[in-house]
Amino acid sequence: MCRTGPSPDPPEGGETTSTDAAFTALLEDSADELYESAPCGYLSTLMDGTIAKINTTLLTWLGRSREEVVGRMRFTDLLTVGGKIYHDTHFAPLLSMQGSVSGIALDIKKAEGGRLPVLLSSVTKNDSTGRPQLIRTTVFDASDRRAYERELLRERQVAEAARTQAEEDRERLQEALAVLQQSLLPAALPPVPGMEAASHYHTASPDRLGGDFYDLFPLDGKRWAFFLGDVCGKGPQAAAVTSLTRYTLRAAALHDPDPVAALTTLNTVLHERYAAGDPRYCTAIFGVLEQAGDTVKVELASGGHPPALVMRQDGSAEYLPTPGGLLVGILPSAPFTATTTELAAGDTLLLYTDGLTEARIGEERELFGDVALRDFAADLTHTAPHEVIEAMTGLLNSFGDGLDDDTALLALGVPTDRPDTGSDSPT
Amino acid sequence: MSPLTTIVQDTDTGPVLHIAGELDYSTAAELRETVTGLALRPGQRLVLDLAHLGFCDSSGITAFIVARNHATAAQAEIALVAVPGPVLRILRVTGLDQVFSLEPGTDAQNGRTASG
Repeated sequence: MCRTGPSPDPPEGGETTSTDAAFTALLEDSADELYESAPCGYLSTLMDGTIAKINTTLLTWLGRSREEVVGRMRFTDLLTVGGKIYHDTHFAPLLSMQGSVSGIALDIKKAEGGRLPVLLSSVTKNDSTGRPQLIRTTVFDASDRRAYERELLRERQVAEAARTQAEEDRERLQEALAVLQQSLLPAALPPVPGMEAASHYHTASPDRLGGDFYDLFPLDGKRWAFFLGDVCGKGPQAAAVTSLTRYTLRAAALHDPDPVAALTTLNTVLHERYAAGDPRYCTAIFGVLEQAGDTVKVELASGGHPPALVMRQDGSAEYLPTPGGLLVGILPSAPFTATTTELAAGDTLLLYTDGLTEARIGEERELFGDVALRDFAADLTHTAPHEVIEAMTGLLNSFGDGLDDDTALLALGVPTDRPDTGSDSPT
Repeated sequence: MSPLTTIVQDTDTGPVLHIAGELDYSTAAELRETVTGLALRPGQRLVLDLAHLGFCDSSGITAFIVARNHATAAQAEIALVAVPGPVLRILRVTGLDQVFSLEPGTDAQNGRTASG
Protein backbone atom coordinates (compact mmCIF):
# COMPACT_ATOMS: atom_id res chain seq x y z
CA MET A 1 0.00 0.00 0.00
CA CYS A 2 1.12 3.54 0.42
CA ARG A 3 2.67 3.19 3.81
CA THR A 4 5.38 5.71 4.56
CA GLY A 5 7.81 5.73 7.39
CA PRO A 6 9.49 2.56 8.78
CA SER A 7 9.24 -0.22 6.25
CA PRO A 8 7.96 -3.59 7.58
CA ASP A 9 10.69 -5.47 5.67
CA PRO A 10 13.82 -3.38 5.82
CA PRO A 11 15.91 -3.61 2.68
CA GLU A 12 18.62 -1.45 4.21
CA GLY A 13 18.80 -2.22 7.92
CA GLY A 14 21.06 0.61 8.99
CA GLU A 15 18.82 3.42 7.89
CA THR A 16 15.67 1.91 9.42
CA THR A 17 17.39 1.49 12.74
CA SER A 18 18.42 5.11 12.85
CA THR A 19 14.85 6.24 11.99
CA ASP A 20 13.44 4.05 14.77
CA ALA A 21 15.98 5.49 17.15
CA ALA A 22 14.91 9.01 16.28
CA PHE A 23 11.24 8.12 16.96
CA THR A 24 12.13 6.40 20.18
CA ALA A 25 14.06 9.42 21.38
CA LEU A 26 11.05 11.59 20.65
CA LEU A 27 8.59 9.19 22.27
CA GLU A 28 10.65 8.67 25.45
CA ASP A 29 10.58 12.33 25.98
CA SER A 30 6.91 12.73 25.21
CA ALA A 31 4.52 11.21 27.78
CA ASP A 32 4.67 14.06 30.30
CA GLU A 33 5.64 16.59 27.70
CA LEU A 34 2.66 15.64 25.54
CA TYR A 35 0.31 15.84 28.54
CA GLU A 36 1.55 19.21 29.69
CA SER A 37 2.06 20.91 26.33
CA ALA A 38 -0.61 19.19 24.24
CA PRO A 39 -2.53 21.43 21.81
CA CYS A 40 -5.60 20.88 24.03
CA GLY A 41 -6.37 21.22 27.71
CA TYR A 42 -6.49 18.14 29.99
CA LEU A 43 -8.36 18.02 33.23
CA SER A 44 -9.05 15.25 35.75
CA THR A 45 -11.69 15.81 38.39
CA LEU A 46 -13.02 13.81 41.31
CA MET A 47 -16.68 12.81 41.19
CA ASP A 48 -17.60 15.86 43.28
CA GLY A 49 -15.97 18.08 40.66
CA THR A 50 -12.79 18.92 42.53
CA ILE A 51 -9.94 19.39 40.11
CA ALA A 52 -7.28 16.76 40.74
CA LYS A 53 -5.00 17.28 37.78
CA ILE A 54 -4.71 19.89 35.04
CA ASN A 55 -2.21 20.43 32.23
CA THR A 56 -0.10 23.49 31.53
CA THR A 57 -1.92 24.29 28.30
CA LEU A 58 -5.25 24.71 30.09
CA LEU A 59 -3.66 26.64 32.97
CA THR A 60 -2.16 29.02 30.44
CA TRP A 61 -5.56 29.53 28.80
CA LEU A 62 -7.14 30.17 32.21
CA GLY A 63 -4.30 32.43 33.32
CA ARG A 64 -4.02 30.58 36.63
CA SER A 65 -1.31 28.71 38.55
CA ARG A 66 -1.50 25.04 39.39
CA GLU A 67 -1.56 25.82 43.12
CA GLU A 68 -4.62 28.03 42.71
CA VAL A 69 -6.55 25.33 40.97
CA VAL A 70 -5.65 21.79 41.99
CA GLY A 71 -7.58 20.65 45.07
CA ARG A 72 -9.07 24.13 45.46
CA MET A 73 -11.39 24.66 42.57
CA ARG A 74 -14.15 22.62 41.09
CA PHE A 75 -14.70 22.11 37.39
CA THR A 76 -17.83 24.25 37.46
CA ASP A 77 -15.83 27.13 39.00
CA LEU A 78 -14.16 27.43 35.60
CA LEU A 79 -17.46 27.88 33.79
CA THR A 80 -19.54 30.99 33.14
CA VAL A 81 -22.94 31.26 34.83
CA GLY A 82 -24.71 30.01 31.73
CA GLY A 83 -22.11 27.27 31.36
CA LYS A 84 -22.72 26.14 34.94
CA ILE A 85 -26.45 25.82 34.35
CA TYR A 86 -25.86 23.89 31.15
CA HIS A 87 -23.35 21.68 32.97
CA ASP A 88 -25.76 20.85 35.78
CA THR A 89 -28.79 20.28 33.57
CA HIS A 90 -27.24 18.52 30.58
CA PHE A 91 -23.55 17.79 30.77
CA ALA A 92 -23.40 16.07 34.17
CA PRO A 93 -26.60 14.00 33.76
CA LEU A 94 -25.49 12.81 30.31
CA LEU A 95 -22.06 11.91 31.59
CA SER A 96 -23.39 9.94 34.53
CA MET A 97 -25.86 8.17 32.27
CA GLN A 98 -23.54 7.36 29.35
CA GLY A 99 -20.12 7.47 30.95
CA SER A 100 -18.99 9.90 28.25
CA VAL A 101 -19.99 13.07 26.44
CA SER A 102 -18.24 14.71 23.54
CA GLY A 103 -18.11 17.94 21.62
CA ILE A 104 -20.07 20.08 24.07
CA ALA A 105 -19.65 23.79 23.40
CA LEU A 106 -19.27 25.95 26.52
CA ASP A 107 -17.45 29.07 27.63
CA ILE A 108 -14.82 29.02 30.36
CA LYS A 109 -13.81 32.05 32.42
CA LYS A 110 -10.31 33.42 32.32
CA ALA A 111 -8.72 34.66 35.56
CA GLU A 112 -8.26 38.17 34.26
CA GLY A 113 -11.85 38.30 33.01
CA GLY A 114 -13.11 37.45 29.59
CA ARG A 115 -14.11 34.07 28.35
CA LEU A 116 -12.82 31.41 26.06
CA PRO A 117 -15.18 29.37 23.92
CA VAL A 118 -14.26 25.68 24.18
CA LEU A 119 -15.40 22.24 23.14
CA LEU A 120 -15.47 19.71 25.98
CA SER A 121 -15.30 15.94 25.90
CA SER A 122 -15.37 13.89 29.08
CA VAL A 123 -15.20 10.24 30.07
CA THR A 124 -15.60 8.71 33.52
CA LYS A 125 -12.96 6.26 34.75
CA ASN A 126 -14.34 3.42 36.85
CA ASP A 127 -12.60 1.35 39.51
CA SER A 128 -12.45 -2.44 39.38
CA THR A 129 -15.97 -2.72 40.86
CA GLY A 130 -17.37 -0.45 38.17
CA ARG A 131 -17.87 2.55 40.42
CA PRO A 132 -17.02 5.86 38.80
CA GLN A 133 -13.78 7.12 40.19
CA LEU A 134 -12.86 10.24 38.31
CA ILE A 135 -13.69 12.24 35.22
CA ARG A 136 -11.18 12.93 32.46
CA THR A 137 -11.90 15.93 30.29
CA THR A 138 -10.27 17.33 27.18
CA VAL A 139 -10.77 21.00 26.42
CA PHE A 140 -10.37 22.34 22.87
CA ASP A 141 -9.95 26.01 22.13
CA ALA A 142 -12.98 26.77 19.93
CA SER A 143 -12.47 30.52 19.50
CA ASP A 144 -11.51 30.19 15.83
CA ARG A 145 -14.34 27.80 15.22
CA ARG A 146 -16.82 30.01 17.07
CA ALA A 147 -15.63 33.02 15.06
CA TYR A 148 -16.04 30.98 11.89
CA GLU A 149 -19.54 29.97 12.94
CA ARG A 150 -20.40 33.57 13.71
CA GLU A 151 -19.05 34.58 10.31
CA LEU A 152 -21.13 31.87 8.63
CA LEU A 153 -24.21 33.00 10.52
CA ARG A 154 -23.53 36.62 9.65
CA GLU A 155 -23.08 35.76 5.96
CA ARG A 156 -26.27 33.77 6.02
CA GLN A 157 -28.12 36.69 7.55
CA VAL A 158 -26.67 39.02 4.92
CA ALA A 159 -27.66 36.61 2.13
CA GLU A 160 -31.15 36.24 3.55
CA ALA A 161 -31.55 39.99 3.85
CA ALA A 162 -30.41 40.37 0.24
CA ARG A 163 -32.85 37.71 -0.88
CA THR A 164 -35.72 39.32 0.98
CA GLN A 165 -34.77 42.66 -0.53
CA ALA A 166 -34.61 41.13 -4.02
CA GLU A 167 -38.02 39.52 -3.57
CA GLU A 168 -39.50 42.80 -2.40
CA ASP A 169 -37.91 44.64 -5.32
CA ARG A 170 -39.22 42.07 -7.74
CA GLU A 171 -42.71 42.33 -6.30
CA ARG A 172 -42.63 46.12 -6.54
CA LEU A 173 -41.36 45.93 -10.12
CA GLN A 174 -44.08 43.48 -11.14
CA GLU A 175 -46.68 45.68 -9.53
CA ALA A 176 -45.36 48.71 -11.42
CA LEU A 177 -45.24 46.75 -14.67
CA ALA A 178 -48.80 45.50 -14.20
CA VAL A 179 -50.05 49.04 -13.57
CA LEU A 180 -48.17 50.33 -16.61
CA GLN A 181 -49.46 47.48 -18.76
CA GLN A 182 -53.03 48.22 -17.70
CA SER A 183 -52.55 51.87 -18.59
CA LEU A 184 -51.85 50.78 -22.17
CA LEU A 185 -55.22 49.08 -22.49
CA PRO A 186 -58.76 50.31 -21.81
CA ALA A 187 -59.92 49.29 -18.34
CA ALA A 188 -63.20 48.12 -19.90
CA LEU A 189 -64.64 48.39 -23.39
CA PRO A 190 -67.35 51.03 -23.59
CA PRO A 191 -70.85 49.89 -24.59
CA VAL A 192 -71.47 50.60 -28.27
CA PRO A 193 -75.17 50.96 -29.17
CA GLY A 194 -76.34 48.21 -31.48
CA MET A 195 -73.09 46.32 -31.16
CA GLU A 196 -71.24 44.01 -28.86
CA ALA A 197 -67.52 44.19 -28.17
CA ALA A 198 -65.18 41.82 -26.34
CA SER A 199 -61.44 41.63 -25.88
CA HIS A 200 -58.66 39.57 -24.39
CA TYR A 201 -55.01 40.21 -23.63
CA HIS A 202 -52.61 37.34 -23.18
CA THR A 203 -49.42 38.31 -21.33
CA ALA A 204 -46.48 36.08 -22.23
CA SER A 205 -44.35 37.12 -19.26
CA PRO A 206 -45.21 39.14 -16.14
CA ASP A 207 -41.62 40.45 -16.14
CA ARG A 208 -41.68 42.00 -19.57
CA LEU A 209 -44.12 44.59 -20.76
CA GLY A 210 -45.77 43.52 -23.95
CA GLY A 211 -46.21 45.83 -26.89
CA ASP A 212 -49.70 44.83 -27.99
CA PHE A 213 -52.49 47.36 -27.66
CA TYR A 214 -56.13 47.98 -28.61
CA ASP A 215 -58.82 50.55 -27.94
CA LEU A 216 -62.47 51.35 -28.71
CA PHE A 217 -63.89 54.83 -28.22
CA PRO A 218 -66.67 57.15 -29.48
CA LEU A 219 -65.92 59.70 -32.22
CA ASP A 220 -69.27 61.47 -32.25
CA GLY A 221 -72.92 60.58 -31.75
CA LYS A 222 -72.92 58.06 -34.59
CA ARG A 223 -69.43 56.75 -35.08
CA TRP A 224 -66.97 54.74 -33.05
CA ALA A 225 -63.28 54.21 -33.67
CA PHE A 226 -61.22 51.14 -32.81
CA PHE A 227 -57.64 50.09 -33.23
CA LEU A 228 -55.41 47.15 -32.41
CA GLY A 229 -51.71 46.78 -33.00
CA ASP A 230 -48.32 45.50 -31.98
CA VAL A 231 -45.24 47.56 -31.19
CA CYS A 232 -41.91 45.94 -32.06
CA GLY A 233 -39.89 44.74 -29.12
CA LYS A 234 -40.78 44.42 -25.48
CA GLY A 235 -40.06 46.07 -22.18
CA PRO A 236 -40.20 49.70 -21.06
CA GLN A 237 -39.00 51.12 -24.41
CA ALA A 238 -41.75 49.25 -26.26
CA ALA A 239 -44.29 50.37 -23.65
CA ALA A 240 -43.28 54.00 -24.23
CA VAL A 241 -43.94 53.55 -27.96
CA THR A 242 -47.25 51.84 -27.19
CA SER A 243 -48.31 54.74 -25.02
CA LEU A 244 -47.32 57.28 -27.68
CA THR A 245 -49.11 55.22 -30.34
CA ARG A 246 -52.32 54.91 -28.38
CA TYR A 247 -52.66 58.60 -27.56
CA THR A 248 -51.59 59.67 -31.04
CA LEU A 249 -54.25 57.47 -32.66
CA ARG A 250 -56.92 58.71 -30.27
CA ALA A 251 -56.08 62.35 -30.92
CA ALA A 252 -55.66 61.80 -34.67
CA ALA A 253 -59.07 60.10 -34.87
CA LEU A 254 -60.81 63.06 -33.29
CA HIS A 255 -59.12 65.38 -35.75
CA ASP A 256 -59.73 63.27 -38.87
CA PRO A 257 -61.35 59.86 -38.43
CA ASP A 258 -60.39 58.62 -41.89
CA PRO A 259 -58.43 55.41 -41.14
CA VAL A 260 -55.60 56.12 -43.59
CA ALA A 261 -55.28 59.68 -42.24
CA ALA A 262 -55.07 58.40 -38.64
CA LEU A 263 -52.33 55.89 -39.51
CA THR A 264 -50.48 58.53 -41.54
CA THR A 265 -50.44 60.87 -38.54
CA LEU A 266 -49.14 58.04 -36.37
CA ASN A 267 -46.47 57.25 -38.95
CA THR A 268 -45.27 60.85 -38.95
CA VAL A 269 -45.16 60.99 -35.15
CA LEU A 270 -43.32 57.68 -34.70
CA HIS A 271 -40.86 58.37 -37.51
CA GLU A 272 -39.98 61.80 -36.19
CA ARG A 273 -39.63 60.55 -32.65
CA TYR A 274 -37.55 57.47 -33.45
CA ALA A 275 -35.89 58.30 -36.78
CA ALA A 276 -32.42 58.35 -35.27
CA GLY A 277 -30.90 55.30 -33.62
CA ASP A 278 -32.98 52.41 -32.43
CA PRO A 279 -35.86 51.93 -34.90
CA ARG A 280 -39.25 51.76 -33.20
CA TYR A 281 -42.30 50.94 -35.20
CA CYS A 282 -45.63 49.19 -34.93
CA THR A 283 -48.19 47.35 -36.95
CA ALA A 284 -51.77 48.52 -36.54
CA ILE A 285 -55.29 48.28 -37.85
CA PHE A 286 -57.39 51.38 -37.33
CA GLY A 287 -61.08 51.47 -38.15
CA VAL A 288 -64.35 53.32 -37.79
CA LEU A 289 -67.79 51.79 -37.10
CA GLU A 290 -70.99 53.48 -38.24
CA GLN A 291 -74.47 52.12 -37.81
CA ALA A 292 -76.47 52.05 -41.08
CA GLY A 293 -79.93 50.66 -40.51
CA ASP A 294 -79.68 47.06 -39.34
CA THR A 295 -76.04 46.73 -40.26
CA VAL A 296 -72.81 48.33 -39.17
CA LYS A 297 -70.48 49.75 -41.76
CA VAL A 298 -66.78 49.17 -41.07
CA GLU A 299 -64.04 51.24 -42.66
CA LEU A 300 -60.52 50.23 -41.73
CA ALA A 301 -56.90 50.57 -42.77
CA SER A 302 -53.87 48.47 -41.98
CA GLY A 303 -50.23 49.33 -41.59
CA GLY A 304 -48.27 46.08 -41.81
CA HIS A 305 -50.75 44.26 -39.61
CA PRO A 306 -52.16 40.74 -40.21
CA PRO A 307 -55.59 40.98 -41.89
CA ALA A 308 -58.77 41.13 -39.81
CA LEU A 309 -61.04 38.09 -39.84
CA VAL A 310 -64.77 38.36 -40.49
CA MET A 311 -67.06 35.62 -39.19
CA ARG A 312 -70.49 35.62 -40.74
CA GLN A 313 -73.64 34.30 -39.19
CA ASP A 314 -73.82 31.60 -41.88
CA GLY A 315 -70.66 30.03 -40.43
CA SER A 316 -68.19 31.28 -43.01
CA ALA A 317 -64.97 33.02 -42.03
CA GLU A 318 -62.92 35.15 -44.39
CA TYR A 319 -59.98 37.50 -44.05
CA LEU A 320 -60.42 41.12 -44.92
CA PRO A 321 -57.24 41.60 -46.94
CA THR A 322 -55.30 44.84 -46.65
CA PRO A 323 -52.18 44.12 -48.70
CA GLY A 324 -49.44 46.68 -49.14
CA GLY A 325 -49.94 48.55 -45.89
CA LEU A 326 -46.50 49.23 -44.43
CA LEU A 327 -45.19 49.02 -40.89
CA VAL A 328 -45.95 52.31 -39.15
CA GLY A 329 -42.97 54.50 -38.36
CA ILE A 330 -40.10 53.18 -40.48
CA LEU A 331 -40.34 55.57 -43.46
CA PRO A 332 -41.10 59.31 -43.53
CA SER A 333 -44.19 58.59 -45.61
CA ALA A 334 -45.79 55.19 -45.86
CA PRO A 335 -48.61 53.56 -47.83
CA PHE A 336 -51.59 52.26 -45.85
CA THR A 337 -54.28 50.06 -47.33
CA ALA A 338 -57.96 50.74 -46.65
CA THR A 339 -60.93 48.45 -47.04
CA THR A 340 -64.56 48.30 -45.99
CA THR A 341 -67.10 45.71 -44.97
CA GLU A 342 -70.55 45.52 -43.45
CA LEU A 343 -71.53 43.57 -40.39
CA ALA A 344 -75.07 42.23 -40.27
CA ALA A 345 -76.74 40.63 -37.27
CA GLY A 346 -74.63 37.68 -36.12
CA ASP A 347 -71.47 38.84 -37.91
CA THR A 348 -68.28 39.49 -35.96
CA LEU A 349 -65.03 41.18 -36.91
CA LEU A 350 -61.95 39.77 -35.13
CA LEU A 351 -58.70 41.72 -34.80
CA TYR A 352 -55.68 39.91 -33.40
CA THR A 353 -51.94 40.30 -33.07
CA ASP A 354 -49.52 37.82 -34.58
CA GLY A 355 -48.92 36.02 -31.27
CA LEU A 356 -51.98 34.02 -32.33
CA THR A 357 -50.89 33.05 -35.83
CA GLU A 358 -47.18 32.77 -35.00
CA ALA A 359 -47.79 30.29 -32.17
CA ARG A 360 -45.93 27.00 -32.54
CA ILE A 361 -47.90 23.78 -32.47
CA GLY A 362 -47.18 20.09 -32.29
CA GLU A 363 -43.90 18.27 -31.93
CA GLU A 364 -42.48 19.87 -35.06
CA ARG A 365 -43.30 23.27 -33.58
CA GLU A 366 -44.89 24.37 -36.81
CA LEU A 367 -46.55 27.75 -37.21
CA PHE A 368 -50.23 27.72 -36.32
CA GLY A 369 -50.69 30.07 -39.28
CA ASP A 370 -53.51 32.02 -40.87
CA VAL A 371 -55.14 29.08 -42.66
CA ALA A 372 -55.58 27.19 -39.38
CA LEU A 373 -56.96 30.32 -37.75
CA ARG A 374 -59.55 30.78 -40.48
CA ASP A 375 -60.53 27.11 -40.27
CA PHE A 376 -60.83 27.34 -36.49
CA ALA A 377 -63.04 30.43 -36.85
CA ALA A 378 -65.20 28.78 -39.50
CA ASP A 379 -65.79 25.82 -37.17
CA LEU A 380 -67.19 28.04 -34.42
CA THR A 381 -70.92 27.57 -34.03
CA HIS A 382 -71.37 30.63 -31.84
CA THR A 383 -69.95 33.82 -33.24
CA ALA A 384 -71.14 36.51 -30.84
CA PRO A 385 -68.05 38.57 -29.90
CA HIS A 386 -67.82 37.29 -26.32
CA GLU A 387 -68.18 33.72 -27.59
CA VAL A 388 -65.47 34.27 -30.20
CA ILE A 389 -63.13 35.72 -27.58
CA GLU A 390 -63.90 32.81 -25.27
CA ALA A 391 -63.10 30.29 -28.01
CA MET A 392 -59.94 32.15 -29.05
CA THR A 393 -58.76 32.38 -25.44
CA GLY A 394 -59.24 28.62 -25.18
CA LEU A 395 -57.22 28.24 -28.37
CA LEU A 396 -54.40 30.41 -26.99
CA ASN A 397 -54.35 28.39 -23.78
CA SER A 398 -54.18 25.16 -25.77
CA PHE A 399 -50.90 26.35 -27.34
CA GLY A 400 -49.15 26.05 -23.97
CA ASP A 401 -45.49 27.00 -24.31
CA GLY A 402 -45.91 27.18 -28.08
CA LEU A 403 -47.25 30.67 -27.44
CA ASP A 404 -44.35 32.83 -26.29
CA ASP A 405 -45.58 36.25 -27.41
CA ASP A 406 -48.14 38.64 -26.05
CA THR A 407 -51.43 38.42 -27.92
CA ALA A 408 -54.27 40.92 -28.09
CA LEU A 409 -57.76 40.05 -29.36
CA LEU A 410 -60.62 42.43 -30.11
CA ALA A 411 -63.98 41.22 -31.42
CA LEU A 412 -66.68 43.59 -32.66
CA GLY A 413 -70.05 42.25 -33.73
CA VAL A 414 -73.73 42.88 -34.25
CA PRO A 415 -75.94 40.90 -31.89
CA THR A 416 -78.33 38.49 -33.54
CA ASP A 417 -82.10 38.19 -33.03
CA ARG A 418 -82.12 40.92 -30.49
CA PRO A 419 -83.39 44.46 -30.44
CA ASP A 420 -80.59 46.59 -31.86
CA THR A 421 -80.21 48.54 -28.66
CA GLY A 422 -77.10 46.79 -27.49
CA SER A 423 -78.96 45.35 -24.51
CA ASP A 424 -76.28 42.67 -24.38
CA SER A 425 -73.61 45.19 -23.47
CA PRO A 426 -73.22 46.55 -19.97
CA THR A 427 -74.48 50.11 -19.77
CA MET B 1 -31.17 25.06 -32.90
CA SER B 2 -28.21 26.73 -34.51
CA PRO B 3 -26.90 30.07 -33.31
CA LEU B 4 -26.35 32.92 -35.71
CA THR B 5 -23.28 33.07 -37.95
CA THR B 6 -22.49 35.91 -40.31
CA ILE B 7 -19.79 36.02 -42.95
CA VAL B 8 -18.92 39.25 -44.71
CA GLN B 9 -17.74 39.06 -48.29
CA ASP B 10 -16.49 42.11 -50.16
CA THR B 11 -17.47 42.34 -53.81
CA ASP B 12 -17.12 45.00 -56.48
CA THR B 13 -20.65 46.24 -55.88
CA GLY B 14 -20.44 46.27 -52.10
CA PRO B 15 -20.45 43.95 -49.09
CA VAL B 16 -22.43 40.71 -49.09
CA LEU B 17 -23.44 39.49 -45.67
CA HIS B 18 -24.19 35.76 -45.55
CA ILE B 19 -26.50 35.15 -42.62
CA ALA B 20 -27.00 31.61 -41.33
CA GLY B 21 -28.81 30.22 -38.31
CA GLU B 22 -31.48 31.73 -36.11
CA LEU B 23 -32.37 35.37 -35.99
CA ASP B 24 -34.36 36.09 -32.85
CA TYR B 25 -34.36 38.33 -29.80
CA SER B 26 -31.11 36.82 -28.51
CA THR B 27 -29.13 37.03 -31.76
CA ALA B 28 -30.59 40.06 -33.58
CA ALA B 29 -28.40 42.51 -31.63
CA GLU B 30 -25.33 40.69 -32.96
CA LEU B 31 -26.50 41.13 -36.55
CA ARG B 32 -27.32 44.79 -35.94
CA GLU B 33 -23.82 45.33 -34.63
CA THR B 34 -22.23 43.53 -37.57
CA VAL B 35 -24.30 45.34 -40.15
CA THR B 36 -23.81 48.85 -38.74
CA GLY B 37 -20.08 48.18 -38.62
CA LEU B 38 -19.95 47.65 -42.39
CA ALA B 39 -18.31 50.43 -44.39
CA LEU B 40 -20.53 51.50 -47.31
CA ARG B 41 -19.79 54.02 -50.03
CA PRO B 42 -22.42 56.00 -51.91
CA GLY B 43 -23.81 53.98 -54.81
CA GLN B 44 -22.75 50.64 -53.35
CA ARG B 45 -25.21 47.89 -52.62
CA LEU B 46 -25.43 46.00 -49.34
CA VAL B 47 -26.66 42.46 -49.90
CA LEU B 48 -28.07 40.31 -47.10
CA ASP B 49 -27.96 36.70 -48.22
CA LEU B 50 -30.65 34.84 -46.28
CA ALA B 51 -30.33 31.47 -48.03
CA HIS B 52 -29.30 29.76 -44.81
CA LEU B 53 -31.48 31.70 -42.40
CA GLY B 54 -33.38 29.05 -40.45
CA PHE B 55 -35.63 31.24 -38.33
CA CYS B 56 -36.47 34.92 -38.17
CA ASP B 57 -38.87 36.74 -35.85
CA SER B 58 -39.75 40.42 -35.47
CA SER B 59 -36.37 41.16 -33.82
CA GLY B 60 -34.77 39.91 -37.04
CA ILE B 61 -37.05 42.13 -39.11
CA THR B 62 -35.92 45.07 -36.97
CA ALA B 63 -32.30 44.14 -37.73
CA PHE B 64 -33.09 44.28 -41.48
CA ILE B 65 -34.60 47.74 -40.98
CA VAL B 66 -31.45 48.81 -39.12
CA ALA B 67 -29.43 47.53 -42.10
CA ARG B 68 -31.65 49.47 -44.46
CA ASN B 69 -31.26 52.67 -42.42
CA HIS B 70 -27.50 52.14 -42.35
CA ALA B 71 -27.41 51.75 -46.14
CA THR B 72 -29.70 54.72 -46.72
CA ALA B 73 -27.56 56.93 -44.47
CA ALA B 74 -24.52 56.00 -46.60
CA GLN B 75 -26.48 56.66 -49.82
CA ALA B 76 -26.18 53.00 -50.62
CA GLU B 77 -28.83 50.48 -51.61
CA ILE B 78 -29.89 47.30 -49.92
CA ALA B 79 -31.17 43.98 -51.21
CA LEU B 80 -32.35 40.80 -49.56
CA VAL B 81 -31.35 37.71 -51.46
CA ALA B 82 -32.74 34.17 -51.29
CA VAL B 83 -35.41 35.09 -48.75
CA PRO B 84 -36.87 31.91 -47.18
CA GLY B 85 -40.64 31.42 -47.51
CA PRO B 86 -41.62 32.14 -43.90
CA VAL B 87 -39.56 35.35 -43.88
CA LEU B 88 -41.08 36.40 -47.20
CA ARG B 89 -44.53 35.91 -45.66
CA ILE B 90 -43.64 38.29 -42.80
CA LEU B 91 -42.20 40.82 -45.27
CA ARG B 92 -45.47 40.74 -47.26
CA VAL B 93 -47.73 41.15 -44.22
CA THR B 94 -45.65 44.06 -42.94
CA GLY B 95 -45.42 45.69 -46.37
CA LEU B 96 -41.64 45.50 -46.25
CA ASP B 97 -41.56 43.68 -49.60
CA GLN B 98 -42.01 47.19 -51.06
CA VAL B 99 -39.13 48.61 -49.05
CA PHE B 100 -36.46 46.01 -49.71
CA SER B 101 -35.28 44.93 -53.10
CA LEU B 102 -35.88 41.16 -53.06
CA GLU B 103 -33.91 38.86 -55.30
CA PRO B 104 -33.72 35.13 -55.82
CA GLY B 105 -30.49 33.62 -54.63
CA THR B 106 -27.89 32.22 -56.95
CA ASP B 107 -24.54 31.51 -55.45
CA ALA B 108 -22.79 32.37 -58.70
CA GLN B 109 -24.38 35.81 -58.82
CA ASN B 110 -23.20 36.58 -55.34
CA GLY B 111 -19.73 35.47 -56.28
CA ARG B 112 -19.60 33.12 -53.35
CA THR B 113 -16.44 31.11 -53.22
CA ALA B 114 -15.09 28.43 -50.96
CA SER B 115 -12.84 30.96 -49.33
CA GLY B 116 -15.95 33.00 -48.47
